[in-house]
Amino acid sequence: MSVHVAGRDLTADPRVVAGALRRRVGAMPRPLRAWYGILVLLCLVGAVGAALSLPPGWEVLGTSPPFEWGILIAAYVFFAITTSGLCLASSLGTVFGIEMFIPLEKRHAILALLCLMTAFGIIALDLQFPVRMVFGAVLSPSPRSPMWWMGVFYGAYLVFLIIEVLSMFTGRWRLHRIACVLSSITAIVAPTTLGAVFGVLSSRPYWHGAFTPPAMVSAALLSGTALLGLVFYVVHRFRLAGFERAGALAIPAIRLLLTIILAVTVLVVGWQTAWGLYGDVPGLSTATAAILVGPLALPFWVLRVLLGLVVPIILLVLPRTRTPAGLAAAACLAFIGLFADRAIFVFAGQVVPDSAVAGVLPSPFAAYVPSLVEISIVVGAFAALALAYTLAERHLPMGEHSGHVVGAFLGSANPAGAADAAAASAVRAAPPTLTAPPMYDGGGVL
Amino acid sequence: MSDTVTAAAPGPGEARPTLSRRRVLQFGLAAVPAVCGAALLSGALATSHDVVRAAGSVRAAEPEPAGGTYDPSAHHWAFVMDTTTCIGCGRCVEACKLENHVPPDPQLNRTWVELHVQAEDWTVSVSSPQGGGHGVPAEETMPAAATAVRNAYFVPRLCMQCENPPCTWVCPVSATYRTEDGIVLVDEKRCIGCGYCLIACPYGARYMVPAGDTTPKGVPGIADKCTFCYHRITRGLLPACAEVCPVNARIFGDLNDATSPVSVAVRDKRVRAMKPALGTRPRVFYTGLEGEVD
Repeated sequence: MSVHVAGRDLTADPRVVAGALRRRVGAMPRPLRAWYGILVLLCLVGAVGAALSLPPGWEVLGTSPPFEWGILIAAYVFFAITTSGLCLASSLGTVFGIEMFIPLEKRHAILALLCLMTAFGIIALDLQFPVRMVFGAVLSPSPRSPMWWMGVFYGAYLVFLIIEVLSMFTGRWRLHRIACVLSSITAIVAPTTLGAVFGVLSSRPYWHGAFTPPAMVSAALLSGTALLGLVFYVVHRFRLAGFERAGALAIPAIRLLLTIILAVTVLVVGWQTAWGLYGDVPGLSTATAAILVGPLALPFWVLRVLLGLVVPIILLVLPRTRTPAGLAAAACLAFIGLFADRAIFVFAGQVVPDSAVAGVLPSPFAAYVPSLVEISIVVGAFAALALAYTLAERHLPMGEHSGHVVGAFLGSANPAGAADAAAASAVRAAPPTLTAPPMYDGGGVL
Repeated sequence: MSDTVTAAAPGPGEARPTLSRRRVLQFGLAAVPAVCGAALLSGALATSHDVVRAAGSVRAAEPEPAGGTYDPSAHHWAFVMDTTTCIGCGRCVEACKLENHVPPDPQLNRTWVELHVQAEDWTVSVSSPQGGGHGVPAEETMPAAATAVRNAYFVPRLCMQCENPPCTWVCPVSATYRTEDGIVLVDEKRCIGCGYCLIACPYGARYMVPAGDTTPKGVPGIADKCTFCYHRITRGLLPACAEVCPVNARIFGDLNDATSPVSVAVRDKRVRAMKPALGTRPRVFYTGLEGEVD
């Protein structure tokens, strides 16, 4: 049995497919084979956890009435903001036409799509009835609910991203340009709706307030930029498609952006902490105490502050560590720190319930320990994302193309001058002339 | 916006370069009615059982009382909890579990009883061993051996049936809603089990139903809460907890009826609601409540 796809006959015989797969795997370099093997194994672990979490009401999660949202919600928030942050970071190139950021375009779009699908997968596993969510959001919409708006905007974002990716690989540049702009706009709005899911709850003082949605956007930009830093280090290190411009433009661009957003995050975390300590607002001050000296202190001081902010900033600023490897280390730590940050954020809103819940009185703090099922799902999600992206990196044409420059929507000095734009496009799209040093320093401290 | 999402969802699989725009549009036009049709069918099944929604209001299609048709617009149900008479026996908790098939787990309750003990130094300790379902052991009444008790009383807790309920505001699929007679209910066929209403409730009145032999509506994985025993009050009966209370600490009735016990209590006693600053406007009032209970 065979199917005809894109002018080629592909067999569907399992034995033939297995044989071909075996030959492909055998021909791989040993480290790549090990990488695939580890990821597949972790995906299988995640799949077992996912299967166990599917039946409604099975108490396989570590949550309880006083602590209803656990690490799956934290992971969902993390991936949902990461996908937005990827688009925000690359919009500097795709929408605003800043040349340093243009090499990010293809990889960011693939990563953003995969991150969003990972986020949707995790939330589907956390929901007891995910199919009802799809129908319910359409048939009995609730525009008063921030969660409904979150579904609307992330749904729209998925559509725009799909169009962006498809048009990118099929050369439909006009459509691509529109999709880039729309996805970038949605990438700002979507995390604010996610922030509003928490921010509107007046009964949860730690989350409550207009500060939460914009803080979610800054967290999005940090996680997205950090992930781009990791990926472009790999591109540079293993000399993958477009590595020349990755080293010359993308890595300095990411370093610059990561440094700025880390500095912004220091302000955000600092003010959040000061806000919580000021006065004695019931719920808020206790939650802040839980973060600073309570059950969340260890992840906060070690993962959030030290490894997630201080060390990355040092790595990015010190001249000795201003290397691609230094950027990769900083990005990796910032990425881990951001995951801890989102988990602390989700947990801090619940760790000090201001009421008994269904007859349970947590004292002094509500307890939550992630179950093995939850941990396996989160690990599996990261592995699935890495596996899917590795496959995309190896099998999709990731080299730059001319279309993205046409897509530089707002950055042209003379947007109305089509001839100028075309000329600029031709110049930028030309193969890189690396007579300049391979690392673009851009001048200045950063 | 949602229609756009639904319609565009098949797009990525279809929008390959080999397909024409016409084919994609044809598929999309065919897919939208198919998806909407399936969803409508799902919605129809969800609404046909025991809840009828019409013109923005909700009417419970429970069996009607013997005397005639139940008119939800004619009632305004409320509770007054008298903390000066509650003895913390826990019969209300037991009765609620039996009446509503609440899971036997002592950590999952539609109603529970808290013991508030105010020590000589004004510190307050709150306890609710097993939700108060088996009374409160004597040792719970003393916060510490060396501390004298200034005041101690029991606080029965349940859903406040707020006039401005945060749980209904946040539900993304309108699965939890407020009836005309002021009761907040959960549609078990619409609830997606996201837990947002649990998080939003300032009174901790909700829990997620675990799988097991005992589930209030036979559906695990949904949010559950006190309904003032809606199946009973629409037949002219008292809620189970009020029915069994030996000291009449749970005063239930219709605020629209000026002679009902609850109207008399609201009028004659000094009552207050919990967490008034949140603007939820509860329909459960308390007498003899100290300020620290908020």
